[in-house]
Amino acid sequence: MTTTAPTAATGRTAPAASPTAPEPRRHRSVRTAEKRWGLLLAAPATLHTLIWIGAPIVVAIVLSFTAYDIIHAPEFSGLENYATIFTDGLFWLSVLHNVIIAAVGIPISMFLALVFATMLNRALPGRGVFRVMIFLPHITATVAVAMIWLWIYSPSQSGLMNVVLGVVGIKPLPFLTNPDLALGSVILVTIWQGIGLKMLIYLAALQGVDEQLYEAADLDGANFVQKFFRITVPMLKPATFFILVTSLISNFQTFDLIYILTEGGPANSTSVVTYRIYQTAFQEFRVGLANAQSVILLLILVVLAFLSRRIVGGTDDD
Amino acid sequence: MTTDHAPSISGTAPSATRARDHSLRRRKRTSNALVLAFLIAASVIMAAPFLWMAISSIRDPTELAQVPMPLIPKDLRLENYSEALGRAPFATYARNSLILATAAAALNVVFASACGYALAKLRFRLAPAVFGWMVACIMIPFYATVIPVFLMVRHMPLFGGNTLMGVGGTGWIDTWWALIVPGAVSPFMVFLFRQFYVSTPSELIEAARLDGVSEFGIYTRIITPLIRPGLLTVALLSFEAGWNNFLWPLLVTTSDSLRVIQVGIASFRQEASTDWHLLMAGTTLAAVPMIVLFLIFQRYFVQGFAASGIK
Repeated sequence: MTTTAPTAATGRTAPAASPTAPEPRRHRSVRTAEKRWGLLLAAPATLHTLIWIGAPIVVAIVLSFTAYDIIHAPEFSGLENYATIFTDGLFWLSVLHNVIIAAVGIPISMFLALVFATMLNRALPGRGVFRVMIFLPHITATVAVAMIWLWIYSPSQSGLMNVVLGVVGIKPLPFLTNPDLALGSVILVTIWQGIGLKMLIYLAALQGVDEQLYEAADLDGANFVQKFFRITVPMLKPATFFILVTSLISNFQTFDLIYILTEGGPANSTSVVTYRIYQTAFQEFRVGLANAQSVILLLILVVLAFLSRRIVGGTDDD
Repeated sequence: MTTDHAPSISGTAPSATRARDHSLRRRKRTSNALVLAFLIAASVIMAAPFLWMAISSIRDPTELAQVPMPLIPKDLRLENYSEALGRAPFATYARNSLILATAAAALNVVFASACGYALAKLRFRLAPAVFGWMVACIMIPFYATVIPVFLMVRHMPLFGGNTLMGVGGTGWIDTWWALIVPGAVSPFMVFLFRQFYVSTPSELIEAARLDGVSEFGIYTRIITPLIRPGLLTVALLSFEAGWNNFLWPLLVTTSDSLRVIQVGIASFRQEASTDWHLLMAGTTLAAVPMIVLFLIFQRYFVQGFAASGIK
């Protein structure tokens, strides 16, 4: 039955005299079709990414060794661009700003995200509403988010932040126009916008934590704080690593926020890598140099991914 | 129940357990109330900027000059929206964003799903290489390749007055090609589709092959209908990325008729400078469509975002 059913179903007539012959041939033709269609279906996406991601990387690396101003043809200049970057204080200042935004903003938003996720993981009335409200900043375009905060940070007496501070008796502050305050103001927005996604990933991870662990802890009289640090935090280590790496990567891609909020100012106090690259290429037209900066950005991200794997993964044995 | 006088080993145990249960439950209730209060406060703070945006967009601008400024506007002023629409072509911006986002969603659903299916279900020689390449591509930030992509678009041969060598004109700059083509396939969406397809039963494919269904038919008619939620997730995430995209449209469009809404908002900022009631009306127009879409399809968004971790 098992040998006749297929042929009957496919409608192909197999000669009854040789019951074993058609099977390998049919199988072979299926394998050929599978191979052919595998290649065919994968081809468009593969070619597209080769053209629009693969080729640009090669172009970026090649152009990083040239002097190029868009108008004249690129001219080979050896390692000059990299030498320029090496002594370019503004570029490294921008890198430093990314590092500060990450070092201050990511731990705070991760901690808040974890707190919210832990709280929303229990049966509470209206938890769906809370989840949406905390997640909204992530779903909204960063340009729109930046516009809103531009207005909130307004130095005029109608700026919401200054209105709130006025209630506690603090005089209006120039949040975005004072070099000492601007980076902090930017960080606050990144924290606010970053909580939602981290919370969502933590919530998904919490679904996988065995409820019995908490029940056992309850019986042992553990309080909320103890359960949080002794059960929740250790059980969520893989999620924490995942969030850390993705947050670091997206932190180095901060652009829209800076473009709208501060344009890297005042006095370059909020310039970040992507914004610096944008300025070099599209305002100063030093395209070769900008490509070298892009290559450095790429290297930073690769190193970051490996480093964070070692730091977080290094204590796996406990 | 308590009349049970059986000589148990621990005669006091039931009542003691009950008492502890009781206190546990009470403790749980008070802690729930505390958590609830905290969450209400926190989520109001989180949503406050949006509330402020909405309030500002319907406020009479003269209120802003009052001392002290009333936090809640006295009356609803929808004229702000018509005035903003009159000052900048937001309808055109929104239409352009809609086209861009829809195209991104459709193209990703078609091409990324085809590749994801092939990687998940079909054995072909290059499969491991293609999969490795896609994963590597996910790691590469767009900002690291944006300049070469811009140059490639600008030097697209035979377009925009360019010669076969890609010089002399502007190539794809300020065309729909530039807006849509480079982002037509996202490697992350390929990866996501592969994950969705991996969880479908391979037995169905074998059975369909025996029934003589073509490989293409198996992909489109047998397996893909099984991952409908996944299709929606990818479509929504692609749409969101398209609608919220800023840097790329900023770089490749110059005319007002091709401007997308995020770039439109940024340029409206120069135009309306301190007319915050108009700026917030425009910002609301740019933000609300995604918020509404999210509220409707929350489940599908969440599924995709939890897997991505990257905005």
